[in-house]
Amino acid sequence: MTAIAANSPRERWWNSRTAHRFMKHHLALIGMVMIALLTLACVLGPHLLPYDSLYIDLRARFAPPLTGKHFLGTDPLGRDLAARLFMAGRISLLVGFSAMLLSTLIGTLVGVVAGYRGGLVGTVLMRAVDGFLSFPSIFLVLALAAALKPSPIMITVVIAATSWMEVARIVEAEVRSLREREFVLAGRMLGLSATHIMFREILPNAMGPIIVAATLTVARAILMEAYISFLGYGIQPPLPSWGNMLNGAQQYLGTAPWLAIIPGAAITIAVTSFNFIGDGLRDALDVRGDHS
Amino acid sequence: MRSFLFNRFAQSLVLLLIVSVIGFVVLNLIPGGPLAQFGLDASMTQDDLNRLAEQLGLNRPLWMQYLDWAWRLLRGDWGHSFRDGAPVLEVIGRHLMATLLLMGSSTVIAIAIGTWIGVRGAVKRYSVFDYMATVGAMVALSIPTFWFGLIGIYVFSLRLGWLPAGNMYTIGDESVLNYLHHLILPSIVLALVHVAIWSRYMRTATLDVINQEFIKTARAKGLSERRILMKHVIGNALLPMITLLGMQLPSVLTGALVTETVFTWPGMGRLFLDSLGYSDYPVVMGLLMFSAILVVVSNLAADIVVAIIDPRIRLS
Amino acid sequence: MTKESTTKTNISRRDALRLMAAGGIACFAAPNLIGKPDIARAADKKPAGRVVVGLSQEPTVFNPLMAHIEVDDAVHFSLFDALFRMDPEGVLQPNLAVEVPTQKNGGISADGLNWRVRLRDDVRWHDGKPFTAEDVKFTLELITNPKFRAWRTGGHSLVRDLTVVSPTEITWRMEQVFAPYLSFLTETFIVPKHLLENEADPNAAAFNQAPVGTGAFKWSQRVAGDHLELAANPDYFGDGPYVERVVFKYIPDQTVLYTQFKSGDIDLTDQAYITPDHYDEASKLPGRVVSLVPGASVESFYLNLERPQFKELAVRQALYAAMDRTAIIDAVYFGVVTPTETFMPKESFYFNPNLPAQEFNLDAARKLLDDAGWVPGSDGIREKNGVKLAFNNSTTSGNNLREQVQQFLQQTFAEIGVQMTISNLPAAVMFGEFWLKSQFDTAISGVTHLIAADPDATNRLASSAIAAKGGKGSNVGQYSNPEVDALLKKGAQTFDPEARREIYYRIQEIVRQDLPFLPLFAATYVIGTKEGLEGWEPNSNTRTASWHAAGWRWKS
Repeated sequence: MTAIAANSPRERWWNSRTAHRFMKHHLALIGMVMIALLTLACVLGPHLLPYDSLYIDLRARFAPPLTGKHFLGTDPLGRDLAARLFMAGRISLLVGFSAMLLSTLIGTLVGVVAGYRGGLVGTVLMRAVDGFLSFPSIFLVLALAAALKPSPIMITVVIAATSWMEVARIVEAEVRSLREREFVLAGRMLGLSATHIMFREILPNAMGPIIVAATLTVARAILMEAYISFLGYGIQPPLPSWGNMLNGAQQYLGTAPWLAIIPGAAITIAVTSFNFIGDGLRDALDVRGDHS
Repeated sequence: MRSFLFNRFAQSLVLLLIVSVIGFVVLNLIPGGPLAQFGLDASMTQDDLNRLAEQLGLNRPLWMQYLDWAWRLLRGDWGHSFRDGAPVLEVIGRHLMATLLLMGSSTVIAIAIGTWIGVRGAVKRYSVFDYMATVGAMVALSIPTFWFGLIGIYVFSLRLGWLPAGNMYTIGDESVLNYLHHLILPSIVLALVHVAIWSRYMRTATLDVINQEFIKTARAKGLSERRILMKHVIGNALLPMITLLGMQLPSVLTGALVTETVFTWPGMGRLFLDSLGYSDYPVVMGLLMFSAILVVVSNLAADIVVAIIDPRIRLS
Repeated sequence: MTKESTTKTNISRRDALRLMAAGGIACFAAPNLIGKPDIARAADKKPAGRVVVGLSQEPTVFNPLMAHIEVDDAVHFSLFDALFRMDPEGVLQPNLAVEVPTQKNGGISADGLNWRVRLRDDVRWHDGKPFTAEDVKFTLELITNPKFRAWRTGGHSLVRDLTVVSPTEITWRMEQVFAPYLSFLTETFIVPKHLLENEADPNAAAFNQAPVGTGAFKWSQRVAGDHLELAANPDYFGDGPYVERVVFKYIPDQTVLYTQFKSGDIDLTDQAYITPDHYDEASKLPGRVVSLVPGASVESFYLNLERPQFKELAVRQALYAAMDRTAIIDAVYFGVVTPTETFMPKESFYFNPNLPAQEFNLDAARKLLDDAGWVPGSDGIREKNGVKLAFNNSTTSGNNLREQVQQFLQQTFAEIGVQMTISNLPAAVMFGEFWLKSQFDTAISGVTHLIAADPDATNRLASSAIAAKGGKGSNVGQYSNPEVDALLKKGAQTFDPEARREIYYRIQEIVRQDLPFLPLFAATYVIGTKEGLEGWEPNSNTRTASWHAAGWRWKS
């Protein structure tokens, strides 16, 4: 998880350390493969299945998995669960990725500006970050989601709006430590513009932590989407998402548990995979363990 | 030290101000409003609704409503719930016990199990146990809390019938055992994520301590490994965890909200969801401020404790 | 089958605290933790046992005159009395009054303007003070107090010259003839003057948190967010109570509500009842009785008639013909609900059974649209004069069955070239201005048209009730028909039930022809009770299954 600075370089440890790194990369590899498979399934799956994710067939409702023509069973309207799961995956993964891009962008901007400028601007920006962090994020997310019309784009925006702070903090710390380095001072002396120094000189050197944080943000965003949709404020049917597939599942927990188990498992697999990848990246890029 | 404290205190106040403004604006952006609950009632005419809006002060400009609310808050008046008319602090107080009970028991579980896993993982670093703990923690962090709760209900309540599916106690049986029986499932569900986080931090902290000089000294003095572990390592590793407790508070509250929803637990999380559903602005704002204050205070306390323990912090 | 009531409340609370202390958590006691003293038990009646009622919303408003929602009614009916009550047959019965005033018995003058109500002389408030006509006067005046956050003021605002003739007689004059007022008074609970008159702000009175009424049960205690408890009033003037305690338990999730009914933790499932998909299983449970109870609400597909798509009758008829109501009722609602053609509840005396029945026929629907000139465009969606037959549909998000109905309709509408886009909102958002000010295209919702079971539907159907056009009611579909307006006016001024019936029959006929909204089904609630609970009776004319807790008793 973390690179320990002061460990005694005993031979035995060094050896197993390599092993550990390998295992970690192994995990990251598993994560990569899982995500690749999931993505592939979500992209191709709906084309391979004979069912439309939206087609309602009331005669076929509540079919359990592996019993008939529907290999993952059907939902209360008789729609094929596998088709819905894959279509939902498209939405959930897309929301996860887009929220990551957006929040990384916001977080990086805020972090770079705050870290480089410092002083009043920096303080104000970082206090705002603290302010956002002091909300239990679900409170803010729910309030925002209720305020805006729920659509995949809006949900993405809402998630991004509440998850950029981590990145901002990481970037700010990184930039602050790089600000006084020789290459930056040199740049300044050469008369390069502040924007140039911030984004051309400093930022590339802070990419490692940003990438790691971004990967973990995808995982977080997918979870967040699930929470919002589960509580009824998220993506609206008939458009399926992993979260809203779970929304009605509690009602049928006794009679049709697969409605709850299958989408939840998909979420867990996807989020775990992203966490694996993020962790592997952290090791590979030798980023200090700032836990999310 | 004094200027450090003053600084942190001033910053905390600014933070609360920001939180309150964001909260107030977002809340009022939500269409519908407190009168939507009467929207289906045939007997509430538009005249009645307008009258209520006037009586509740909802037809004033937003900034005026905010200033009014903030000014009252500064004087210690948190306002009254739109729903039952009780003072907001009293409303929160009524739900606080349940949440504290749930958070408390799950924190105890998380610290106990997390410490054990973390320390053991650090001592037996790179062992199979350590490896499994690492993987397990990452999976635990990835499971949606509510889903884990649903699965728990399905297995232990619906299938096996061992544990109740919700509520804090059975009406008519308010014994400790009954509370405990109802606590098991939700507190385990809520603890899951925190066991993961706590064990990871504990592992790092233990590793940091293990490699320090005084442990080597203790070892040189011939103290048993077990003694060293119990007395020196865990004690010293737990210190930095104080900050973690402060940092974890918002996420415990978030987790409590979801867990309380799944297990129909009468705590602050449910209160928040219900109040949001009825647009009970005073209570929602009260809860936001309450949790923000809690977070700020615990962060502040953690900072102070750390500053006392480690004088170097004061400089930065 | 008597349930023991708990007498160790205080001890166990301390246990709870000890439990928390053991967990090492700092906590402070919430103000309501001190247990209220146990009620004195009367020797003669000896009410016994406890009934736990499950509710999926939390009752929070205990002053019955303040703005409140349906679920609060359950508590009000047990704590308070009104001048009259509406029995399950829809007949008015005296409650605090000794008789129901009519034009025949002289209680209401021939012109309908002067009212006189005689009151019982043997009623006492829970605190022992006698109930008198002064309390009635105070109640009716409080409702129209501009500072007071009153619930409905309709009808009450017409009352003038309230006069206390004697402690048992009160008279007043109505500003205009308004027959539904008699029904309104069945939901106007009388509050004690002596506890409220000296309050500077009636909205913040202590009474509102610990109400005192005349009803069969007294306020006992409330654990906010969880349950509230009422205790038998041994001095109740009416029949009952026979149980010692009534507990209203708040269980926000209907699945958990059902689970607890199944396990026996709950004796009666009140709102929002048992979900239809559990009906089959529930009716087979041993030791449980499950009843299907018709409700006053009618689930409908609401059309915003000001949208250009819906101005034409043919479109509304086509959409109606394209609704496979049988599939919706049988599959989604498990056959629990029943089809209907009108807004009037089936149980009502005014329900018109002679309306033409809807028939599901896609070909007929297509033909209607073809004939009216709505032809499919290049994308398959019908259009006419540049207007596409495409619209949004909204319902409350999170309401699973409604969302299923919606998605099912979306699919069948598509088959006749109608595009329906789903755009759902949380209930808290939907029923604000979006609903009240007619900002929707179409919406699915269960709506009650009647107030206090009176057939007067002016607030829903009169053209003067369109809030979006500055009107003062909730005619959200913006329906406007002069003939209906005139009939509604006449109905509100007629006291004689037979004469009224004719008027409302005609209104239902016209509305069925005009189709301002498309009825899906009449609500039917699945209400479960534990075997042995006697005296429980459903009443479609009230909004709660706990309208008469005074009569409940455990079979001994």
